[in-house]
Amino acid sequence: MNLAAATLAELRTLLDTKKISSSELVDFFRARIEKHNPKLNVYLTVCDPESAAGTGPLAGIPLAIKDNFCTKGIRTTASAKLLDSFISPYDATVISRLKEAGALVQGKTNMDAWAHGSSTETSDYGPTLNPWDTTRVPGGSSGGSAAATAAALAPAAIGSETAGSIRGPASWCGVIGVKPTYGRVSRYGVIAMGSSLDCPGPFSRTIEDSALLLQIIAGKDPFDATSAEEAVPDYTAEMKKKRTFTIGIADEYLEGVQEDVRKNFDQTKKELEKMGHTFKKISLIPPKYSISVYTILQRAEVSSNLSRYDGIRYGEKRTAFTAEAKRRIMLGTYTLSHGYYDAYYKKAQQVRTLLIEDFRRVFRDVDLIMAPSGPVTALKLGEFEKYPFFGEIMDVLYEPGAIAGLPAISIPTGLDSNSLPIGMQFMANYFSEGALLDIGYQYEQETGFHGISKQLIDRYA
Amino acid sequence: MKYPYPIIGLEIHVELKTKSKMFCQCSADYFGKAPNSQVCPVCLGLPGALPVPNKTAVEWTIRIAQALGCTVPERSKFDRKHYFYPDLPKGYQISQYDEPIGINGRVAISDGIERKEFRIRRVHIEEDTGKLIHKGGETLIDFNRSSVPLVEIVTEADFHNSGDVKRFLEELQVIIRTLDVANADMEKGDMRLEPNISVLYLEKGQKWDGKTFPKYKVEVKNINSFRFAKMAIDYELERQTKLLENGETPVQETRGFNEKTNATVSQRTKEDAHDYRYFPEPDIPVMVFGKSYLERIRQSLPELPTPRAERLVAELGLRFQDAFLITRVKSTADLYEMLVAKMGKDKSQKIANHIVNRKVDVTAPVEEVVSAMEALFAEKNADPALLEKAVADVCAANGKVVTDYKNGKQQALMFLVGQVMRQMRGQADAADVTAALRKYLD
Amino acid sequence: MTQKQITRDDILHLAKLANLQLTEAEIKKYMSQLEETIEYVENLSELNTVGVPPTSHATRVENVYFEDGTPNQRGLDFSKENYKVPRIL
Repeated sequence: MNLAAATLAELRTLLDTKKISSSELVDFFRARIEKHNPKLNVYLTVCDPESAAGTGPLAGIPLAIKDNFCTKGIRTTASAKLLDSFISPYDATVISRLKEAGALVQGKTNMDAWAHGSSTETSDYGPTLNPWDTTRVPGGSSGGSAAATAAALAPAAIGSETAGSIRGPASWCGVIGVKPTYGRVSRYGVIAMGSSLDCPGPFSRTIEDSALLLQIIAGKDPFDATSAEEAVPDYTAEMKKKRTFTIGIADEYLEGVQEDVRKNFDQTKKELEKMGHTFKKISLIPPKYSISVYTILQRAEVSSNLSRYDGIRYGEKRTAFTAEAKRRIMLGTYTLSHGYYDAYYKKAQQVRTLLIEDFRRVFRDVDLIMAPSGPVTALKLGEFEKYPFFGEIMDVLYEPGAIAGLPAISIPTGLDSNSLPIGMQFMANYFSEGALLDIGYQYEQETGFHGISKQLIDRYA
Repeated sequence: MKYPYPIIGLEIHVELKTKSKMFCQCSADYFGKAPNSQVCPVCLGLPGALPVPNKTAVEWTIRIAQALGCTVPERSKFDRKHYFYPDLPKGYQISQYDEPIGINGRVAISDGIERKEFRIRRVHIEEDTGKLIHKGGETLIDFNRSSVPLVEIVTEADFHNSGDVKRFLEELQVIIRTLDVANADMEKGDMRLEPNISVLYLEKGQKWDGKTFPKYKVEVKNINSFRFAKMAIDYELERQTKLLENGETPVQETRGFNEKTNATVSQRTKEDAHDYRYFPEPDIPVMVFGKSYLERIRQSLPELPTPRAERLVAELGLRFQDAFLITRVKSTADLYEMLVAKMGKDKSQKIANHIVNRKVDVTAPVEEVVSAMEALFAEKNADPALLEKAVADVCAANGKVVTDYKNGKQQALMFLVGQVMRQMRGQADAADVTAALRKYLD
Repeated sequence: MTQKQITRDDILHLAKLANLQLTEAEIKKYMSQLEETIEYVENLSELNTVGVPPTSHATRVENVYFEDGTPNQRGLDFSKENYKVPRIL
């Protein structure tokens, strides 16, 4: 078997039957990293993890971790030069839980600096290249984690999403990405971007792997007051339930979508109908309002969350902030400043209520909402700047659900005419990650995701 | 002929004596600890750290608010208050802005004749900052104090003289100590005061309408005792009055009190309003207090000092001064009422006298206090012969002391009195003993 | 919401509040970018939000605390660190 293509479940079997040892596994991936990372720039820090002697579903298995997760004793930068020297003295809760399950940290992956972006181009350490076409970006901000998973520089990865930062790169790299319900997974130890929006989540090449990772990291955390009390179901069992779903489609989410993506959307719809699912037309508040809400809330929270970086206790002084961070801080400061709070921040929070009610209304009639994961496939390096409103238009299909805190999944459903991956996303009601894994698994069982991930791994020997 | 009318409002901070800090489990007892030895990712403001509020700190703030007569709305929340300063690790302080724990309270002070009330505008909870230590060309920062729970109490501008401010602060301190939620010691820094002082000129015979304020106000910092508070205010009022008489308006600013010179010194100009860019703390869910929860806390409040003093006067006919002194410390007042219950209401004034005159050690174990008090009331049956013998014995055994007394040292007599009373095993009255000794020695 | 022209002074004031140092080029850039963003988000005024309560937390959590005196699992001893700034007068 090609070890590179092995799933977490398969690796578990290999390790348990002693066909391979954990240190051999780590060496295997390290060799791949040494070979491909210089070009792809997926990892900022490559670790030398001690192979675990422990038990647990992930015992001895290395994972790629987005560099905004604090990892004890390991450099943590959020791809920002300001934190170049920061060695975290503590582990994020997600990391402790993965370690408790026996996982190892293979390395810290590249991202848009401070998670401010949808391309990984705005990293202070240079962009990560899309393994499918190295003249293109992998998406962002979790570009490094998505690329690591796609090119098998790790069996799976952890990333985070504020609005599209998991779904976007997952679709542009042809892998699975899950954005859990806000509060489903603890944010403690994740370098904060949008406090009311950030969601840690997994990247993988099979649904089963994402179910396993989600199982391990989900659940209430006493160190995160916004983490949810809701019990964590058995995601692997949920995944296999084979429910038939009523899936909503909104025209608002299909506007301006690239032709190949639209065709793939229609094709995927047909495939799902053949599998017994029904589709229903729904209407949602136009995404353009979500862009405004998101811009205001996120920038305000960002400007606040970046206030702690003064260079006194760690990192460099504030002069080390680069362009995108400064821009967001400036706008956030404006919307919160005296006289503007009511007009902007409060108004955005009110529209957020409208968006939440909008989705609540829709989920009375449908179980899931389906849309393309992005209006276009992977852009070329430097192309983002040309898009209006700083490329945030790319996130238009992610923002509404993100603002409402809803869970979503992106699955690879095909390739476009340039052989670039296309992803479709499903959104579900609060804490219905099980339903997302279910539809993903059904689609996987039916189509094998059209062999997309295997195609890429073969190119990265 | 116009006259100057002082208008003073107070902002008081009290550090709660919880075990843990406000938003993390680090110890809140930072006094005397090695700098930065009691920190964690949360109170150090490390990347990724998140706050979780201390339940007791919130509850004690509700207690304070209720004790100060405030309304406690059922909903409250935290907000971020942004400003940059080296002792503020997150670049914002988690505080409360528009939904504080308590609003619209009042505190009464009394001297037995006149009762005055001062209004409390708000009571809220926030986190303390780190401590700055100036050393040579550098300022060092110790974050052990960062995120310790701090209650902020803001009064209305109801004070018009420094004497009232001092008495109010003393009352507030006693209330908080009675609630047992803080040490409230100004000298140690766990109670801090920042008065806002200004002066308005009114026409002779005109009363202040309570709504017209001077166009400036001066905030004074670095006041470390009630005595200094009075001095600082007196100095400020004089300084401001002089300026106003000269036709000048005092600058709106922050001034620091200098203990050595007893004067205030300009620190920096206080802008009309800092732009703190308050917004609701997204990391902490809103707090919703149920009616029964709030009622339960209210029921558990101890009787407050001044109302208790007033009750003792009404119920036992005590002199107000004595009732006031006894109720300054809750344990003393509890002890007093227990003794009265045990020994009879008819003895209430005398028991009060003995406590006020420190005839008994109120900090001793309760049983000892009770016997000491009972001894004081015991019939003194001193056998005169025994007393004479005791006097003779004691004087013989303490020749030097006798000589001292005969040489004019009155204090020496006290020592001899004590020795005789001991030998008489409490059977002799101090006055009788003193008389007997004098007769013997003179 | 009001349409506002962003002035150079506005940018300088914001930079001061945010403790950022800006170059001349950045000041000019942010003036136009801020205006562009504000113009876009004005579209929210098209939605009627009268009587609509603001939502800070999408998933309606409330009353989350920790018990005072809970053993500290995250204590750090940084007594060897020397956090300092140039002397503040």
